[in-house]
This record gives sequence, structure tokens and C-alpha cells, in this order.
Amino acid sequence: MADDKKMTEQESLDLITNMIQKAKGSYHETGIGSLLWGTVVTIASVVTYFQRTYDFYIGFDIWLLVLGAIIPQIIISIQEKKSNKVKKYEDDALNAIWLVFGITIFGLNAYQMIVPDVTDKFIQLEGWQLTKHYLDNTKHDEPINTFTPSIYSLFILIYALPTLVTGMVKKFKPMLYGALITYGLFIWSCFTITEYDFLLGGAAALICWFIPGVILRRKYLAQQQANV
Amino acid sequence: MFKELDPILHSQLRLAVVSLLIGVKEAEFTFIREKTNATAGNLSVQVQKLKEAGYIEVTKQFKDNYPQTTCKITPKGIEAFEAYVQALQQYLQVGKE
Repeated sequence: MADDKKMTEQESLDLITNMIQKAKGSYHETGIGSLLWGTVVTIASVVTYFQRTYDFYIGFDIWLLVLGAIIPQIIISIQEKKSNKVKKYEDDALNAIWLVFGITIFGLNAYQMIVPDVTDKFIQLEGWQLTKHYLDNTKHDEPINTFTPSIYSLFILIYALPTLVTGMVKKFKPMLYGALITYGLFIWSCFTITEYDFLLGGAAALICWFIPGVILRRKYLAQQQANV
Repeated sequence: MFKELDPILHSQLRLAVVSLLIGVKEAEFTFIREKTNATAGNLSVQVQKLKEAGYIEVTKQFKDNYPQTTCKITPKGIEAFEAYVQALQQYLQVGKE
């Protein structure tokens, strides 16, 4: 591009439009982060569904897989930050939303693990207990521990949040539609037993992250090939 | 009365640089060069002119032992760009009449 070229007003306007479009389509995310989370959350959810439905245990808590995915995610984030030649205005805000999402999921996990035990202790201090009572009296009453009923529905609800914001801000339809479908899955999960909630959660992770991740990855690879 | 087109912006490469930077928070020099197809030397000169006019901020640092130049539009640059586009629209409006 030469600098001394005389431009007409129309040429100036065309140049501005062209450059703004170039900046807009300048980079695609690698999609690896979406693929990673889509994969681990889907696997963890589906394995949990099978464990609960068919009453078996694989020998370790499958959700540790999700916790372990934080390490590759940190490496991916650092590498992507290094390779990005351009920073957009929305990047910081979206990163903040995904960070808050991570903290919220971590907090909800902690709530799920801590609150039932603490509640049991308070109940014991008050001198009573929770009991499962069969209405048809076919079985004896059984003492039960406090539990958070169908809490995975809340996870599904939260899965949709950062996905919807990203879809709206980036105008990325796969995430936008994925989030909207996930809200539908959340409503559905309110009416199903906990086992099915895990299956619906697995579907949510697949729709929110894995499928958009595959699309992002394809776009990224196509762009990389075009740049060669 | 027509507003005069800002001579700093009314140049192909400088306008291209500012138009690229208007939509992003910041961009590396190599990115701008890639998108404008300009030579490094020519781009350096024009970037320097935009910097001297106060339209862009230029930060030089080292990243992985390589020098890295990052450009960012300033509030003055945004104002000048908006005024330039308004003036262009005025000219084009008259052309249509």
C-alpha cells in the first residue's frame, strides 16, 4: 500500500470499510479450550449417569478429570495470548466472564460438598434426624444424610451463562444457539431425576462447548492454511 | 461550509492504520503490516507520523527475546477519525445531490 496515492472521498470510505472488516475477521480462536471443556464435562457427566443408573464405581471420582483440565487450560491461555497479534475490546470482558464462571462452578461444587455435612451436624445438635419413610409401609424407616437435591440442574443453568454472553458478544451463532438449547435442557432437568440431569448436563457441555469448539477449530485451521 | 479533510488521515496508509486500530484495543506492528500489505519501512514512517500527531500510542517491548511494537489508537485519534468520517460523509452527500 503506497502512502502518496491521492484518494477520492469514496475511495477513502471504501478503504475504511475494508480495513474495519479485515480487523473484524482478523483472528479466530483456536477452539482448543472449548474442545477441552466440552470433552471433559461431557465425559464426566455421562460416566456419572452410568455409575448412578447401573450402580457401579470406576474407582476414582471422574470429576477430578474436570479439575485436572485447569492445568492444560492455563497453558492454552498463555500460548493463545502469546500468539495473538491483536487484542480486541471485548477480550478482557469475556475472559473475566469465563473466570467468574469457573469460580462459580468451583463455589457450587464446594457448596455441594460442604453444606450437607454441615447441615447434618446442625441437625444432630438439635437432636433430630432426617428419615426416609415409605408411605406404603413395605420397608422400615431409614435414617438418611442431608443432600442437595438435583443440584446438577443449577450447573446446567450456569453452563449456559458465559456461553450465551460469548455467543452474543462475538456474534457466534453455535454458542448462542447452544446456550439457548441449554436453557431448555435446564428446564427439562427440573422435571427429571438426578441421574438424567447428568445426561442432560453432558448434552449441554456437548452443545455449548464441544460442537462450537469443533467449528472454531475448523475456522482456525482454515485461516492458518490461508495464511501459509 | 465544508470541513477540510484532516491531512494526517487523508493518506492511504495512515488511514488504513487508523481504520484497523479503531476496531481493536491494540495491534502488533506485524499485524498492521500484514493487513495493509505495506513495507516495514514505509509503515514505520507513517506510524511515526500518526504517533507525532497524537493519534496513536506506540509501545515497544521485548517478547520472547524478540522486539515487539504494539499500536493503540488514542482518544485524540478516535476524535480525529470521527471528524474525518463526518467530513467524508458531507462531501459524498453533496456529490449525490
